[in-house]
Amino acid sequence: MSRTSPATAGLLLFLAATLCFAQGDAKRGEYLAKAGGCLGCHTVEAKDAKDKPVPYAGGRALKTPFGTFHGPNITPHPEAGIGRWSEADFMRAIREGRRPDGSNYFPAFPYPSFTLITDADLRDLWAYLRSLPQSSRQSEPHDLGFLYRWRFLVSFWKWLFFEPGPFAPEPAKSAQLNRGAYLVRALGHCGECHTPRNFLGGPKKDRFLAGAKDIAPNLTPTRVGKKGDGELKEFLRTAMTPDGDVAAESMAEVVTNTTSQLTPQDLDALVAYLRSLPPLPDEAK
Amino acid sequence: MKKTLLAAGVAIAVGSIAGIALAQVKPDVLVKQRQAVMTLQGKYFGPIAGMASGKVTPYNADVVARSATYLENLAQMPWDGFHENTKGEKSRALPEIWSQKAKFDELAQRLQTETAKLAELARAKDAAGVKQQYAAVGKVCGACHEGFREKQ
Repeated sequence: MSRTSPATAGLLLFLAATLCFAQGDAKRGEYLAKAGGCLGCHTVEAKDAKDKPVPYAGGRALKTPFGTFHGPNITPHPEAGIGRWSEADFMRAIREGRRPDGSNYFPAFPYPSFTLITDADLRDLWAYLRSLPQSSRQSEPHDLGFLYRWRFLVSFWKWLFFEPGPFAPEPAKSAQLNRGAYLVRALGHCGECHTPRNFLGGPKKDRFLAGAKDIAPNLTPTRVGKKGDGELKEFLRTAMTPDGDVAAESMAEVVTNTTSQLTPQDLDALVAYLRSLPPLPDEAK
Repeated sequence: MKKTLLAAGVAIAVGSIAGIALAQVKPDVLVKQRQAVMTLQGKYFGPIAGMASGKVTPYNADVVARSATYLENLAQMPWDGFHENTKGEKSRALPEIWSQKAKFDELAQRLQTETAKLAELARAKDAAGVKQQYAAVGKVCGACHEGFREKQ
Protein backbone atom coordinates (compact mmCIF):
# COMPACT_ATOMS: atom_id res chain seq x y z
CA MET A 1 0.00 0.00 0.00
CA SER A 2 1.51 3.28 -1.03
CA ARG A 3 1.35 6.20 1.33
CA THR A 4 1.77 9.89 0.70
CA SER A 5 4.08 11.37 3.26
CA PRO A 6 2.62 14.12 5.43
CA ALA A 7 5.20 16.53 4.03
CA THR A 8 4.12 15.92 0.42
CA ALA A 9 0.47 16.22 1.37
CA GLY A 10 1.22 19.49 3.14
CA LEU A 11 3.05 20.84 0.13
CA LEU A 12 0.19 19.89 -2.20
CA LEU A 13 -2.31 21.57 0.08
CA PHE A 14 -0.16 24.69 0.22
CA LEU A 15 0.11 24.78 -3.59
CA ALA A 16 -3.64 24.32 -4.00
CA ALA A 17 -4.33 27.13 -1.55
CA THR A 18 -1.93 29.49 -3.33
CA LEU A 19 -3.49 28.70 -6.69
CA CYS A 20 -6.93 29.39 -5.31
CA PHE A 21 -5.87 32.80 -4.11
CA ALA A 22 -4.08 33.69 -7.33
CA GLN A 23 -7.07 32.88 -9.57
CA GLY A 24 -9.88 32.99 -7.08
CA ASP A 25 -11.04 36.54 -7.49
CA ALA A 26 -11.94 36.60 -11.17
CA LYS A 27 -13.55 33.21 -10.75
CA ARG A 28 -15.67 34.42 -7.85
CA GLY A 29 -16.38 37.52 -9.90
CA GLU A 30 -17.72 35.38 -12.71
CA TYR A 31 -20.24 33.82 -10.34
CA LEU A 32 -21.16 37.24 -8.97
CA ALA A 33 -21.65 38.57 -12.51
CA LYS A 34 -24.13 35.74 -13.10
CA ALA A 35 -25.89 36.43 -9.80
CA GLY A 36 -26.01 40.08 -10.87
CA GLY A 37 -27.48 39.25 -14.27
CA CYS A 38 -25.02 41.66 -15.98
CA LEU A 39 -25.30 39.72 -19.24
CA GLY A 40 -28.98 40.59 -19.62
CA CYS A 41 -28.42 44.25 -20.48
CA HIS A 42 -24.80 44.19 -21.58
CA THR A 43 -25.17 41.66 -24.40
CA VAL A 44 -27.31 41.87 -27.53
CA GLU A 45 -30.01 39.29 -28.10
CA ALA A 46 -29.13 36.39 -30.37
CA LYS A 47 -31.01 36.76 -33.65
CA ASP A 48 -31.34 33.00 -34.11
CA ALA A 49 -29.91 29.75 -32.80
CA LYS A 50 -26.65 30.19 -34.74
CA ASP A 51 -26.06 33.82 -33.75
CA LYS A 52 -23.62 34.02 -30.82
CA PRO A 53 -23.29 37.65 -29.68
CA VAL A 54 -20.09 38.61 -27.84
CA PRO A 55 -20.86 38.52 -24.09
CA TYR A 56 -20.64 41.88 -22.30
CA ALA A 57 -19.99 43.76 -25.57
CA GLY A 58 -23.22 45.68 -25.00
CA GLY A 59 -26.20 46.57 -27.06
CA ARG A 60 -29.40 45.26 -25.49
CA ALA A 61 -32.26 47.76 -25.75
CA LEU A 62 -34.22 48.35 -22.55
CA LYS A 63 -37.54 50.04 -23.29
CA THR A 64 -38.87 52.21 -20.47
CA PRO A 65 -41.52 54.94 -20.21
CA PHE A 66 -38.61 57.43 -20.33
CA GLY A 67 -37.02 56.14 -23.51
CA THR A 68 -34.90 53.28 -24.76
CA PHE A 69 -31.60 52.58 -23.05
CA HIS A 70 -28.80 50.53 -24.55
CA GLY A 71 -26.46 48.60 -22.27
CA PRO A 72 -22.88 49.62 -23.12
CA ASN A 73 -19.82 47.51 -23.92
CA ILE A 74 -18.13 46.59 -20.60
CA THR A 75 -15.27 44.51 -21.98
CA PRO A 76 -11.74 45.84 -21.34
CA HIS A 77 -11.38 47.39 -24.81
CA PRO A 78 -9.66 50.79 -24.28
CA GLU A 79 -11.95 52.79 -26.61
CA ALA A 80 -15.15 50.79 -27.10
CA GLY A 81 -15.24 49.29 -23.60
CA ILE A 82 -14.05 50.23 -20.13
CA GLY A 83 -10.38 49.31 -20.61
CA ARG A 84 -9.16 52.70 -19.39
CA TRP A 85 -11.08 52.54 -16.13
CA SER A 86 -9.43 52.08 -12.77
CA GLU A 87 -10.86 49.84 -10.08
CA ALA A 88 -11.94 53.02 -8.25
CA ASP A 89 -13.86 54.18 -11.36
CA PHE A 90 -15.70 50.86 -11.39
CA MET A 91 -16.49 50.95 -7.68
CA ARG A 92 -17.81 54.51 -7.97
CA ALA A 93 -19.94 53.61 -11.01
CA ILE A 94 -21.68 50.84 -9.14
CA ARG A 95 -21.75 52.26 -5.61
CA GLU A 96 -22.61 55.87 -6.51
CA GLY A 97 -24.04 55.69 -10.02
CA ARG A 98 -21.34 58.01 -11.36
CA ARG A 99 -19.34 57.87 -14.54
CA PRO A 100 -15.57 58.32 -14.37
CA ASP A 101 -16.06 61.99 -15.38
CA GLY A 102 -18.35 62.44 -12.36
CA SER A 103 -21.65 62.78 -14.24
CA ASN A 104 -24.65 60.62 -13.40
CA TYR A 105 -25.74 57.33 -14.84
CA PHE A 106 -29.39 57.03 -15.63
CA PRO A 107 -30.98 54.69 -13.10
CA ALA A 108 -31.81 52.28 -15.93
CA PHE A 109 -28.41 51.03 -14.79
CA PRO A 110 -29.65 49.47 -11.56
CA TYR A 111 -27.17 51.12 -9.19
CA PRO A 112 -29.94 51.77 -6.65
CA SER A 113 -29.72 47.99 -6.10
CA PHE A 114 -26.05 47.46 -6.94
CA THR A 115 -24.95 50.08 -4.42
CA LEU A 116 -25.63 47.36 -1.83
CA ILE A 117 -22.89 45.09 -3.27
CA THR A 118 -20.01 44.75 -0.80
CA ASP A 119 -16.52 46.10 -1.52
CA ALA A 120 -15.02 42.61 -1.62
CA ASP A 121 -17.58 41.46 -4.19
CA LEU A 122 -17.04 44.59 -6.28
CA ARG A 123 -13.32 43.87 -6.41
CA ASP A 124 -13.97 40.30 -7.58
CA LEU A 125 -16.42 41.54 -10.21
CA TRP A 126 -13.82 44.01 -11.42
CA ALA A 127 -11.19 41.27 -11.63
CA TYR A 128 -13.60 39.20 -13.71
CA LEU A 129 -14.48 42.05 -16.09
CA ARG A 130 -10.75 42.72 -16.59
CA SER A 131 -10.28 39.10 -17.61
CA LEU A 132 -12.83 39.25 -20.46
CA PRO A 133 -11.65 39.32 -24.07
CA GLN A 134 -11.77 42.82 -25.56
CA SER A 135 -14.50 43.66 -28.02
CA SER A 136 -14.38 46.71 -30.28
CA ARG A 137 -18.16 46.80 -30.64
CA GLN A 138 -19.33 50.41 -30.31
CA SER A 139 -21.91 51.12 -27.62
CA GLU A 140 -25.16 52.53 -28.95
CA PRO A 141 -26.45 55.90 -27.69
CA HIS A 142 -29.64 55.95 -25.60
CA ASP A 143 -32.82 57.13 -27.27
CA LEU A 144 -34.58 59.15 -24.60
CA GLY A 145 -37.70 61.28 -24.32
CA PHE A 146 -37.29 65.06 -24.58
CA LEU A 147 -37.23 65.81 -20.86
CA TYR A 148 -35.08 62.90 -19.82
CA ARG A 149 -31.97 63.59 -21.86
CA TRP A 150 -30.20 65.70 -19.26
CA ARG A 151 -28.04 63.71 -16.94
CA PHE A 152 -27.94 66.52 -14.38
CA LEU A 153 -31.65 66.03 -13.77
CA VAL A 154 -30.73 62.59 -12.47
CA SER A 155 -29.14 64.35 -9.47
CA PHE A 156 -32.62 65.37 -8.39
CA TRP A 157 -33.86 61.80 -8.89
CA LYS A 158 -30.97 60.46 -6.85
CA TRP A 159 -31.64 62.96 -4.08
CA LEU A 160 -35.21 61.69 -3.89
CA PHE A 161 -34.76 57.96 -4.32
CA PHE A 162 -31.15 56.85 -4.05
CA GLU A 163 -29.37 55.80 -0.86
CA PRO A 164 -25.77 54.80 -1.54
CA GLY A 165 -23.98 52.31 0.68
CA PRO A 166 -23.27 48.60 0.95
CA PHE A 167 -25.61 45.98 2.35
CA ALA A 168 -25.61 45.73 6.13
CA PRO A 169 -26.62 42.28 7.39
CA GLU A 170 -29.26 42.24 10.11
CA PRO A 171 -27.67 40.47 13.10
CA ALA A 172 -31.07 39.38 14.41
CA LYS A 173 -31.68 37.32 11.26
CA SER A 174 -30.05 34.07 10.24
CA ALA A 175 -27.06 33.97 7.91
CA GLN A 176 -29.25 32.31 5.31
CA LEU A 177 -31.86 35.09 5.36
CA ASN A 178 -29.14 37.72 5.14
CA ARG A 179 -27.57 35.92 2.20
CA GLY A 180 -30.97 35.69 0.52
CA ALA A 181 -31.62 39.39 1.12
CA TYR A 182 -28.25 40.23 -0.38
CA LEU A 183 -28.89 38.07 -3.45
CA VAL A 184 -32.38 39.51 -4.03
CA ARG A 185 -31.80 43.14 -3.13
CA ALA A 186 -28.18 43.74 -4.17
CA LEU A 187 -26.93 41.39 -6.88
CA GLY A 188 -30.19 40.05 -8.28
CA HIS A 189 -31.75 43.56 -8.37
CA CYS A 190 -35.16 41.81 -8.44
CA GLY A 191 -36.89 44.96 -7.19
CA GLU A 192 -35.98 46.89 -10.33
CA CYS A 193 -38.83 45.08 -12.10
CA HIS A 194 -40.84 43.54 -9.25
CA THR A 195 -41.25 46.72 -7.16
CA PRO A 196 -43.78 49.23 -8.50
CA ARG A 197 -42.58 52.73 -9.37
CA ASN A 198 -44.16 56.16 -8.99
CA PHE A 199 -44.62 58.62 -11.88
CA LEU A 200 -41.00 59.80 -11.52
CA GLY A 201 -39.74 56.27 -11.92
CA GLY A 202 -38.80 56.05 -8.25
CA PRO A 203 -39.44 52.76 -6.47
CA LYS A 204 -42.32 52.69 -3.98
CA LYS A 205 -40.31 51.47 -1.03
CA ASP A 206 -43.29 50.49 1.10
CA ARG A 207 -44.35 48.16 -1.73
CA PHE A 208 -41.01 46.33 -2.10
CA LEU A 209 -41.38 43.32 -4.45
CA ALA A 210 -45.18 43.63 -4.40
CA GLY A 211 -45.25 43.47 -8.21
CA ALA A 212 -45.57 46.13 -10.90
CA LYS A 213 -48.67 46.02 -13.02
CA ASP A 214 -48.07 44.71 -16.56
CA ILE A 215 -44.36 44.33 -15.85
CA ALA A 216 -43.63 41.77 -13.16
CA PRO A 217 -45.67 39.88 -10.56
CA ASN A 218 -45.84 40.10 -6.78
CA LEU A 219 -43.02 38.15 -5.09
CA THR A 220 -44.25 38.54 -1.52
CA PRO A 221 -45.92 35.58 0.26
CA THR A 222 -49.34 36.87 -0.89
CA ARG A 223 -48.63 35.17 -4.19
CA VAL A 224 -45.48 33.11 -3.75
CA GLY A 225 -46.73 31.68 -0.44
CA LYS A 226 -49.08 29.31 -2.23
CA LYS A 227 -46.24 27.62 -4.05
CA GLY A 228 -44.06 24.97 -2.44
CA ASP A 229 -40.27 25.30 -2.15
CA GLY A 230 -39.78 22.60 -4.77
CA GLU A 231 -42.05 24.32 -7.26
CA LEU A 232 -40.40 27.71 -6.73
CA LYS A 233 -36.92 26.32 -7.06
CA GLU A 234 -37.80 24.32 -10.13
CA PHE A 235 -39.23 27.47 -11.70
CA LEU A 236 -36.04 29.38 -10.91
CA ARG A 237 -33.94 26.60 -12.43
CA THR A 238 -35.99 25.84 -15.54
CA ALA A 239 -38.37 28.80 -16.15
CA MET A 240 -41.18 26.24 -16.09
CA THR A 241 -43.76 25.20 -13.53
CA PRO A 242 -44.35 21.51 -12.81
CA ASP A 243 -47.58 21.68 -14.84
CA GLY A 244 -45.66 22.74 -17.93
CA ASP A 245 -46.44 26.47 -17.91
CA VAL A 246 -43.62 28.49 -19.46
CA ALA A 247 -42.42 31.82 -18.05
CA ALA A 248 -42.58 34.97 -20.15
CA GLU A 249 -39.46 35.76 -22.16
CA SER A 250 -37.94 38.37 -19.86
CA MET A 251 -38.08 36.15 -16.77
CA ALA A 252 -36.99 33.11 -18.78
CA GLU A 253 -33.86 35.08 -19.59
CA VAL A 254 -33.27 35.90 -15.92
CA VAL A 255 -33.59 32.18 -15.18
CA THR A 256 -31.11 31.26 -17.90
CA ASN A 257 -28.55 33.94 -17.00
CA THR A 258 -28.95 34.10 -13.25
CA THR A 259 -31.17 31.94 -11.11
CA SER A 260 -30.36 28.62 -12.82
CA GLN A 261 -26.66 29.42 -12.28
CA LEU A 262 -26.92 29.88 -8.51
CA THR A 263 -25.50 27.29 -6.15
CA PRO A 264 -28.16 25.17 -4.38
CA GLN A 265 -27.37 26.98 -1.11
CA ASP A 266 -27.86 30.39 -2.71
CA LEU A 267 -31.12 29.30 -4.32
CA ASP A 268 -32.33 28.06 -0.92
CA ALA A 269 -31.36 31.39 0.64
CA LEU A 270 -33.17 33.31 -2.07
CA VAL A 271 -36.39 31.35 -1.58
CA ALA A 272 -36.13 31.56 2.23
CA TYR A 273 -35.77 35.34 1.98
CA LEU A 274 -38.82 35.70 -0.29
CA ARG A 275 -40.81 33.65 2.23
CA SER A 276 -39.74 36.01 5.03
CA LEU A 277 -41.07 39.15 3.29
CA PRO A 278 -44.18 40.87 4.65
CA PRO A 279 -47.15 39.79 2.50
CA LEU A 280 -48.35 42.72 0.40
CA PRO A 281 -51.47 42.87 -1.78
CA ASP A 282 -51.17 43.18 -5.57
CA GLU A 283 -51.41 46.59 -7.21
CA ALA A 284 -54.95 47.77 -7.85
CA LYS A 285 -56.00 46.83 -11.37
CA MET B 1 -61.78 5.22 -54.94
CA LYS B 2 -60.41 5.21 -51.45
CA LYS B 3 -58.88 8.62 -52.12
CA THR B 4 -62.17 10.11 -53.25
CA LEU B 5 -63.84 8.81 -50.12
CA LEU B 6 -61.09 10.29 -48.01
CA ALA B 7 -61.37 13.63 -49.83
CA ALA B 8 -65.10 13.64 -49.25
CA GLY B 9 -64.55 12.86 -45.58
CA VAL B 10 -62.03 15.70 -45.27
CA ALA B 11 -64.43 18.05 -47.05
CA ILE B 12 -67.20 17.18 -44.60
CA ALA B 13 -64.83 17.55 -41.64
CA VAL B 14 -63.57 20.94 -42.84
CA GLY B 15 -67.15 21.99 -43.48
CA SER B 16 -68.21 21.05 -39.99
CA ILE B 17 -65.21 22.86 -38.45
CA ALA B 18 -66.22 25.96 -40.40
CA GLY B 19 -69.73 25.34 -39.14
CA ILE B 20 -68.53 25.31 -35.55
CA ALA B 21 -66.63 28.53 -36.13
CA LEU B 22 -69.65 30.17 -37.68
CA ALA B 23 -72.03 29.20 -34.92
CA GLN B 24 -72.08 31.77 -32.13
CA VAL B 25 -70.14 30.09 -29.36
CA LYS B 26 -70.56 31.93 -26.07
CA PRO B 27 -67.47 34.02 -25.24
CA ASP B 28 -67.04 32.47 -21.80
CA VAL B 29 -67.05 29.00 -23.36
CA LEU B 30 -64.45 30.06 -25.93
CA VAL B 31 -62.21 31.24 -23.08
CA LYS B 32 -62.66 27.96 -21.21
CA GLN B 33 -61.84 25.99 -24.34
CA ARG B 34 -58.68 27.88 -25.19
CA GLN B 35 -57.54 27.67 -21.57
CA ALA B 36 -58.09 23.93 -21.68
CA VAL B 37 -55.85 23.71 -24.74
CA MET B 38 -53.16 25.76 -23.01
CA THR B 39 -53.35 23.49 -19.96
CA LEU B 40 -52.96 20.41 -22.13
CA GLN B 41 -50.04 21.97 -24.01
CA GLY B 42 -48.38 22.33 -20.63
CA LYS B 43 -49.22 18.73 -19.80
CA TYR B 44 -47.45 17.40 -22.88
CA PHE B 45 -44.63 19.93 -23.04
CA GLY B 46 -43.68 19.18 -19.43
CA PRO B 47 -42.31 15.66 -19.97
CA ILE B 48 -40.55 16.65 -23.19
CA ALA B 49 -38.77 19.54 -21.48
CA GLY B 50 -38.03 17.40 -18.42
CA MET B 51 -36.41 14.61 -20.44
CA ALA B 52 -34.72 16.87 -22.97
CA SER B 53 -33.11 18.93 -20.21
CA GLY B 54 -32.00 15.80 -18.36
CA LYS B 55 -34.05 16.62 -15.28
CA VAL B 56 -36.25 13.56 -15.80
CA THR B 57 -34.31 10.37 -16.47
CA PRO B 58 -34.17 8.09 -18.31
CA TYR B 59 -35.01 9.66 -21.65
CA ASN B 60 -37.96 7.76 -23.08
CA ALA B 61 -38.17 8.29 -26.83
CA ASP B 62 -41.66 6.77 -27.02
CA VAL B 63 -43.09 9.13 -24.41
CA VAL B 64 -41.38 12.07 -26.12
CA ALA B 65 -42.73 11.07 -29.55
CA ARG B 66 -46.26 10.66 -28.21
CA SER B 67 -46.19 13.93 -26.24
CA ALA B 68 -44.70 15.88 -29.16
CA THR B 69 -47.40 14.60 -31.51
CA TYR B 70 -50.13 15.64 -29.09
CA LEU B 71 -48.43 19.02 -28.69
CA GLU B 72 -48.20 19.50 -32.44
CA ASN B 73 -51.95 19.00 -32.71
CA LEU B 74 -52.78 21.09 -29.66
CA ALA B 75 -50.71 24.00 -31.00
CA GLN B 76 -53.26 24.46 -33.78
CA MET B 77 -56.26 24.65 -31.48
CA PRO B 78 -56.19 27.71 -29.21
CA TRP B 79 -56.25 30.46 -31.79
CA ASP B 80 -59.90 30.66 -32.87
CA GLY B 81 -60.65 30.89 -29.15
CA PHE B 82 -59.14 34.37 -29.13
CA HIS B 83 -62.21 35.77 -30.84
CA GLU B 84 -62.89 39.51 -30.57
CA ASN B 85 -66.04 38.74 -28.61
CA THR B 86 -63.95 37.34 -25.72
CA LYS B 87 -62.26 40.71 -25.06
CA GLY B 88 -64.48 41.47 -22.09
CA GLU B 89 -64.13 38.03 -20.46
CA LYS B 90 -62.11 37.58 -17.30
CA SER B 91 -58.81 35.92 -18.23
CA ARG B 92 -55.12 36.72 -18.40
CA ALA B 93 -55.36 37.47 -22.12
CA LEU B 94 -54.25 41.07 -22.72
CA PRO B 95 -55.96 43.52 -25.13
CA GLU B 96 -52.70 43.58 -27.15
CA ILE B 97 -53.84 40.28 -28.68
CA TRP B 98 -56.31 42.30 -30.74
CA SER B 99 -54.46 45.62 -30.96
CA GLN B 100 -51.26 43.90 -32.18
CA LYS B 101 -52.98 41.13 -34.04
CA ALA B 102 -50.30 40.70 -36.72
CA LYS B 103 -47.62 40.04 -34.09
CA PHE B 104 -49.89 37.68 -32.16
CA ASP B 105 -50.79 35.76 -35.31
CA GLU B 106 -47.15 35.48 -36.27
CA LEU B 107 -46.28 33.94 -32.89
CA ALA B 108 -49.26 31.61 -33.15
CA GLN B 109 -47.97 30.48 -36.54
CA ARG B 110 -44.45 30.10 -35.21
CA LEU B 111 -45.65 27.85 -32.41
CA GLN B 112 -47.28 25.57 -34.97
CA THR B 113 -44.14 25.50 -37.11
CA GLU B 114 -41.80 24.82 -34.20
CA THR B 115 -43.99 22.14 -32.60
CA ALA B 116 -44.32 20.43 -35.99
CA LYS B 117 -40.53 20.33 -36.28
CA LEU B 118 -40.30 18.99 -32.72
CA ALA B 119 -42.85 16.25 -33.43
CA GLU B 120 -41.01 15.21 -36.57
CA LEU B 121 -37.70 14.90 -34.71
CA ALA B 122 -39.39 13.09 -31.83
CA ARG B 123 -41.05 10.56 -34.12
CA ALA B 124 -37.70 9.98 -35.87
CA LYS B 125 -36.33 9.21 -32.34
CA ASP B 126 -33.71 11.93 -32.83
CA ALA B 127 -32.93 12.67 -29.17
CA ALA B 128 -30.19 15.20 -29.96
CA GLY B 129 -32.54 17.06 -32.31
CA VAL B 130 -35.32 17.06 -29.70
CA LYS B 131 -32.93 18.47 -27.11
CA GLN B 132 -32.29 21.47 -29.37
CA GLN B 133 -35.80 21.91 -30.72
CA TYR B 134 -37.65 21.83 -27.37
CA ALA B 135 -35.84 25.05 -26.46
CA ALA B 136 -37.10 26.70 -29.66
CA VAL B 137 -40.65 25.72 -28.71
CA GLY B 138 -40.19 27.05 -25.17
CA LYS B 139 -38.91 30.30 -26.62
CA VAL B 140 -42.10 30.86 -28.62
CA CYS B 141 -44.24 30.08 -25.56
CA GLY B 142 -42.30 32.67 -23.57
CA ALA B 143 -42.34 35.25 -26.36
CA CYS B 144 -46.13 35.15 -26.48
CA HIS B 145 -46.51 35.12 -22.69
CA GLU B 146 -44.38 38.27 -22.59
CA GLY B 147 -46.65 40.78 -24.28
CA PHE B 148 -49.95 38.96 -24.57
CA ARG B 149 -50.55 37.39 -21.18
CA GLU B 150 -51.02 39.25 -17.92
CA LYS B 151 -48.18 38.73 -15.47
CA GLN B 152 -49.80 37.05 -12.52
